[in-house]
Amino acid sequence: MNNIKEIKNELLGDRYFEIDHSSGLKIFVYPKENYSSAYAVFGTKYGSVDTSFRTEGEEDFTSVPEGIAHFLEHKLFESEELDAFARYAKTGASANAYTSFDKTCYLFSCSGNFEESLEILLDFVTNPYFTAQTVEKEQGIIGQEIKMTNDEPGWESLFSLLRAMYHNHPVKIDIAGTVESISHITADLLYSCYNTFYNFSNMALAVAGNVTVEQVLRVADKMLKAEPPKKIERKFLPEPPTVVQDTVVRNLPVSMPIFAIGYKEDVKTPCRTLKETLESEILLDIIAGKTSTLYEELLNDGLINTTFETEYFEGYGYSAHIFTGESNDCEKVRERINREIIKVIKEGVDRETFDRIKKKHYGGVIMNFDDVGSLANSLVGDYFNGEGLFDQLSVLESITAEDIDNRLRTAINVENSSMSIIKQD
Amino acid sequence: MNTTQFQEIAQGVKLLCINSKKFKTNCLLVDFYMPINERLAAQTVLASLMGHTSAAFGTFKAFNSKIDSLYGADFDTGISTVGEKVRIRFSIELPDDRFSLDGKSLSAEAADFIIDIIKHPHCADGKFDAEDTEREIRFTLENIEAEKNDKRAYALSRLRQLMCADEPYGIDSEKLENDVKALDGAKLFEAYEDLLRSSHIAITACGSLNSEMLSEKFTAFAESIENRRPAELSTVFITKADEVRYFTEDMNVNQSKLVMGLRSGMGNSNDSYYAFRVMTDIFGGGPYSRLFLNVREKMSLCYYCGARLVRDKGVIFIQSGIEEKNYEKALNEILHQLDIMKNGEFTDGDLNSSKTALSDAFRGVGDSPASVCFYYGSQAFDDEIVSGTEFAEKISAVTREQVIDCANRVSLDSVYLLKGESGEDE
Repeated sequence: MNNIKEIKNELLGDRYFEIDHSSGLKIFVYPKENYSSAYAVFGTKYGSVDTSFRTEGEEDFTSVPEGIAHFLEHKLFESEELDAFARYAKTGASANAYTSFDKTCYLFSCSGNFEESLEILLDFVTNPYFTAQTVEKEQGIIGQEIKMTNDEPGWESLFSLLRAMYHNHPVKIDIAGTVESISHITADLLYSCYNTFYNFSNMALAVAGNVTVEQVLRVADKMLKAEPPKKIERKFLPEPPTVVQDTVVRNLPVSMPIFAIGYKEDVKTPCRTLKETLESEILLDIIAGKTSTLYEELLNDGLINTTFETEYFEGYGYSAHIFTGESNDCEKVRERINREIIKVIKEGVDRETFDRIKKKHYGGVIMNFDDVGSLANSLVGDYFNGEGLFDQLSVLESITAEDIDNRLRTAINVENSSMSIIKQD
Repeated sequence: MNTTQFQEIAQGVKLLCINSKKFKTNCLLVDFYMPINERLAAQTVLASLMGHTSAAFGTFKAFNSKIDSLYGADFDTGISTVGEKVRIRFSIELPDDRFSLDGKSLSAEAADFIIDIIKHPHCADGKFDAEDTEREIRFTLENIEAEKNDKRAYALSRLRQLMCADEPYGIDSEKLENDVKALDGAKLFEAYEDLLRSSHIAITACGSLNSEMLSEKFTAFAESIENRRPAELSTVFITKADEVRYFTEDMNVNQSKLVMGLRSGMGNSNDSYYAFRVMTDIFGGGPYSRLFLNVREKMSLCYYCGARLVRDKGVIFIQSGIEEKNYEKALNEILHQLDIMKNGEFTDGDLNSSKTALSDAFRGVGDSPASVCFYYGSQAFDDEIVSGTEFAEKISAVTREQVIDCANRVSLDSVYLLKGESGEDE
């Protein structure tokens, strides 16, 4: 039996369906009227941070090489016969996949042959095929992918920062691993990861666009065989609240120094709530967004350019407020950001500024509801985080300026930050 | 969706409004087109400056606060080339009027805002504000320099410069840098006046828009600019390469970048375009392409290897990231795959995969206001607009013979290698 629940939002005038499929898989369907295309995402809550794990009944934890979740993502496209790309080539769908810190997602978009394409997606993700030979072939391709990102200063700067902030948390390892770490990957290890994390109780499927519940269920009922849920236990070493290093400098070919400054939050619980996440995004805008005094001063003083950005970076067991950009005086930028944070903590956020930025975020949330790709990806991501897609609007509505004051005081400590600088030799 | 043609609302000013109730956002593009010439440096700075301040909003803070008040509108300005035309684009995407909390029309306000910042920039006495000018020159120089941070883009830009050195298309970034350094507020103002007078302007809008309101506002805007004389726009299409030229440059990078530039053989942007598009796609488009399947999957030489047709210039660029030691191997295999195209040795499966994928993708262009605007906005100079569905039909009608014919018109012009020096990290 498939249990179907309709979830509506009056303001948006939209609805989607949340389905507990008889196979044990959670399925979301978000039909969009008058759309020509559909977008599907099949994801597992398994990413680069899951480096040590066991399932219920297993005594020992399995530790796996860095980058294996991403490697598995590449390999899943292959099968004993036609690989998934060759099959999609017949339906015309545009397919892809990605691996992040905490999830792996397989997706396609199409405007025709939807059911055939969904069948391919559900089939190849549920039928792994790894051999020593295909693993070896992929080591060459992913080796080049790693070398490519090693030449991207922004990416390298972020991981330098994460290594400077985190002692033990695997968020500091590169999602794709290293050329060395992936050389230890074997077909057996891939099967072990697959059998642990690619269980329906740890996965979700979301489809948005020109699609109906009936279409999705027709394919799901045919392709998905019920499987018993698995209890997965992930092992994380305790992470000290302090940073590892104050400043880390690396040399790479860049036109001018690139910085990333991160304020590490001392997290008492593994996960941030949606409210805390939205508060953090608002407070970053208040401190250093494009309408802030700090941003304007840094620009006018020649300390930053328009590449300057802020990001709230969080996931299971980690949380940081990050500022990135280019500058010929990175230390000075850091000093000015610190000063501004201390000032806002002391004075509280300006109420008018808060109202304007809240309005901006309200508009930003609404604008996400036109794009089928963003809808399908958010449905999966929000589900893994224990949230619903429409929750953002109501939670945002409930946030007050006092909440921001409180969040700022508890989440950012200027004494507990790191800075990574990438500069020319 | 109701697609019509661009309407000429004043001399050299065209407007296309696509009304669709299915969206929650509206998108508006205002594009200025000019030939590539000595004003490029000033235009590059203007494109940045006019997106940061204006007479009414003289500081970053005031300007961006205005944008925030439009419910977090996504606003941007930018400069790029379309063939040998320069395009300065003002774009804004924002929630539809029905989400306005105080009943004001956001789309009318957005149109007014864009018109205002274009008509009234931050200037006085025939000069742009001195502080603005200085700051924006710095941004522009840092931005040009920053190109080398993105090795993939940098290698492509170098190939383009070297291959098209004698054409306006081969923009020399060193010259551009020097020209930017020589600018001041008065020179910027001169370029600004020229922009208003001599550009072709195309306005594209999509969403639950009031077309009449937009048409009225933009017609008034167009009519308010005096002495408009839009410049002649053209692009040189070189249909055959002479001898192949090889270039190598060194940089301390882990991965070498191989870029190849080819003359497609197209004589203008409509010359057998759909067949060339399919040909390039079979050769190096999606994961079903010859380059992906052979250079990446079969030979494990790279993570990416693809080919892209630049319709407005009639050139094809091939890009790949490889080990330096595999340079010959990769180059030979790419050329071998091109020969397969020329000899018609690709399979019917290859042809069908490409046609099916391309048609499928274009059938979906109508599903976001931004994608609608980008797709139709790029057709501002075409005699007749081609909808996504019509595009898909034209792709489906391409035959094997046409593809082979196109492949045989292609000639290799230049090969560029950005060579890694050490190959070792840290």
